[in-house]
Amino acid sequence: MASTIPATGFELLERTDELEALAAALATVDKSGWGKLALVRGEAGVGKTALVDSFVGSLQGWRVLRAACEPLHTPSPLGPFLEIADTVGGELARIASRGPQPYALTAELLRELSARPAVLVIEDIHWADEATLDVLRLLTRRVESVPTLVVGTYRDDELTRNHPLRAVLGEFGVHAVRVNVIPLSQAAVAVLAAESGLDADALYRQTNGNSFFVTEALAAGGAGVPETVRDAVLARAARLGNAARRLLDAVAVVPPHVERPLLDRLLPAADTALDECTTAGMLRAASGRVGFRHELARLAIEDTLPPGSRRTLHRAVLAALGDADPARLAHHAEEAEDVEAILRFAPEAGKRAAAVGSHREAAEQYARALRHADDVEPSVRAGWLVLRAISCYLTDQNAEALEALRVAIPIYHELGDTISEGHALKRLAEYLWCPGYVEESRAAALQAVALLEPGGPSRELGLAYDQMAFLAGQGSRSDEARLWWNRLLEVADATGDPELEALGHARGSAVAFETAIDHGLITRAGAIQLGLAADPLWERRYDDADRSGRVALAFCSDHGLELYRHYILSWLATGALEQGRWDEAVDCADQILRTPRASTSPRILALTTIGLVRARRGDPDPWSPLDEAYALGTISGELGRMVRPAAARAETAWLEGRENEIAALTDEAYELAQARRIGWAVGALAVWRHRAGLAVELIDDVEEQHALEINGGHAAAAARWTELGCPYEAALALAETGDEILQREAFDQLQRLGAAAAAARLRRSGVRGLPRGPRRTTRENPSNLTTREVEVLRLLVEGLRNSEIAERLVLSERTVHHHVSAILRKLGAGSRTEAVGRASTLGIL
Amino acid sequence: MPRYVVERTFPEGLEIPADARGATACLGIVERNADDGVTWIRSYVTGDRSKTYCVYDAPSPEAIRRTAGRNELPVDRITEVRVLDPYFHF
Repeated sequence: MASTIPATGFELLERTDELEALAAALATVDKSGWGKLALVRGEAGVGKTALVDSFVGSLQGWRVLRAACEPLHTPSPLGPFLEIADTVGGELARIASRGPQPYALTAELLRELSARPAVLVIEDIHWADEATLDVLRLLTRRVESVPTLVVGTYRDDELTRNHPLRAVLGEFGVHAVRVNVIPLSQAAVAVLAAESGLDADALYRQTNGNSFFVTEALAAGGAGVPETVRDAVLARAARLGNAARRLLDAVAVVPPHVERPLLDRLLPAADTALDECTTAGMLRAASGRVGFRHELARLAIEDTLPPGSRRTLHRAVLAALGDADPARLAHHAEEAEDVEAILRFAPEAGKRAAAVGSHREAAEQYARALRHADDVEPSVRAGWLVLRAISCYLTDQNAEALEALRVAIPIYHELGDTISEGHALKRLAEYLWCPGYVEESRAAALQAVALLEPGGPSRELGLAYDQMAFLAGQGSRSDEARLWWNRLLEVADATGDPELEALGHARGSAVAFETAIDHGLITRAGAIQLGLAADPLWERRYDDADRSGRVALAFCSDHGLELYRHYILSWLATGALEQGRWDEAVDCADQILRTPRASTSPRILALTTIGLVRARRGDPDPWSPLDEAYALGTISGELGRMVRPAAARAETAWLEGRENEIAALTDEAYELAQARRIGWAVGALAVWRHRAGLAVELIDDVEEQHALEINGGHAAAAARWTELGCPYEAALALAETGDEILQREAFDQLQRLGAAAAAARLRRSGVRGLPRGPRRTTRENPSNLTTREVEVLRLLVEGLRNSEIAERLVLSERTVHHHVSAILRKLGAGSRTEAVGRASTLGIL
Repeated sequence: MPRYVVERTFPEGLEIPADARGATACLGIVERNADDGVTWIRSYVTGDRSKTYCVYDAPSPEAIRRTAGRNELPVDRITEVRVLDPYFHF
């Protein structure tokens, strides 16, 4: 290992590979002009910052933009990006100063980076607030479009299972260059220990090669190796004079660093002490700020402060800060146990956080205020509870959201504030529906209507009607939905409220969308996009569904509406499944299942998609996802959530030759569908009950193809399925005809789809003349491109980038990346342009 | 992580030369698998090299199919398996 040890600075022992990985990533960016993301991970103190220091120190001709996330309980929203905006200045700083939404900030940042390339470093993203993570997520989706290397560092030992960074890391995918900073080897520790006289083996054993611990242990300078990092830091601090020690204490309560003017106010004339601390290597002073050399050292010092002096220090900081960022003031206020200041700054910080979409932080700031709000006026307290509920709901903390509303509602009741009580009840109804408490949701919405109606037309009453119409629609009670709908229209007319006006246009219409956008109602506009994407799918207008789904997905992605994205992805998965594009269906479903969100509806569709594709292909374990989907559907008791999983389980039993189980698997959903007289649901389930030999009773508005199949018109049903664009269902219908020629056609179709289980069932049924052995689907064009690859190739011809292709085909960028690599490899092409040339020579396009 | 046996058919025979080219081909596959958390343990190849039985660790059957597509490998059948070691009892 000796050859990898540089002569200068022991912090960089054994980091050659990591530095090379970063340098190679930057070289690619430089050459191609396409941006990249690099993720540097490692335990606390392992040397991530030192690595980044060395990397940016070696750069020539690159602008470096660098900021770090703060180790505060509740960090300031967008902290690191606001800092970067401040450094860059210009338009970016102007936008940043106005409390921007993450997408607006990202858009301007991308413009800035495309005009002037940079290496953008965001450190400690495990501490990032939600809005910062949103910017990172959006930035990464577009990073290819700007000549920039984005470097993010994080502690991988601090990522708990539900850590918000986890979901984001999943989305970064393989596009990211990943650098894992591991502890120093025993050999490297020995090299370091050689000059110190410490026992090298003991040093390695105690520190496990953690760079920071090793450095501190060596600097502590005792005869033996300190037990812990904390002991090492304290041993080092113990050698400082009193003034220097006081300075350390003051700096320790202002993470991550204290600005010089603030420090001067806290401890006037501390220059000598500061020199002593920097010389001793405890503190670092740069760009007008003073901070610990490492967060671990700050924590060690902060821990030794007795509660009393800690409180006093925080009080001094609070007084010296003046009118700083309210998130920062709220932090010190709480540490100083200054209730008045907490109640002043925490709600303000919450408001600002929510305004930029940092709802996780907003929820915590309101919680902070509420912890001390016993003597606050009830109406104010209830207002904070509702705001906390909203932020919790948007960050998937459903139980907390419900809890906050349930405290707020009786307060409003007590106050006699009917409008607020009704509105909170409407919210309660909305939040109850998402995890599947459908009955409770309806009860709350009805209560809201009952409270609000006597007061005459109001915005709140209109929204309550909208909630009722939504619940009736979801419950497949369309007459009832129409009734609420008409009442909503009356209230919209009477009040002229823009949000009600948007809602009053036909659900999910383009006009509704325009109205919402015109009034800056982004979330409402996203909700309308949901309708635009869903309606054509349920009507089996697949082309429209695909197109509007992609538009809606792009809109919600750009505006950080992550919850809505999942709904849209689940519909795209369902549409692709029904059109026989199973790889795509699985890709969309996987994206949903990767994130642990609580919304049941998208999860049910995603699980059903995965389970069905497995069953049809004859792949292992179709039942776990299907059982989970069915269980989630049944808990809600909502027919719309039960039918697809029930039908999927029936189909799976049928494919496995266990028709006798179909009755039990579908009874509950079928009876509900019959009781509610819902045609599509009765049809979807009746087909499987019919195939299992059960008698079925059709109702009026069963879909045509279902009715045909049940009445024995199999060929006509197949034709109808084909016309709709559902090749698998068409093949199943053909297989039922009993005509051997048509059955062979069905068999071919199933083979083409990769529906091995269905094909095997057809073979078992004794149809003669079916070919043996697997098909060679990729042998159909001269260069062995798959259908998907040809599709991607066509978009390459249009000059689209990977990110654009991904959007167009609803794939992840990494999947597109792989398709493009496969295309280049198969065509023997060195570049995209060359591939396009080859393809047209070979006549593939 | 579940373990799977993946059966594949190569009508023209599987060709992986026992030289540097073969090594590169195999490493390429391993690398492309890693993106989906798929680990290729080993494969058993029939005498005529027309069929392989490949042992994989993978998070899901979908991941197996996705990487197969990326590696241009055919998939006939995926079966989830557990290890049975005859010498375990001794």
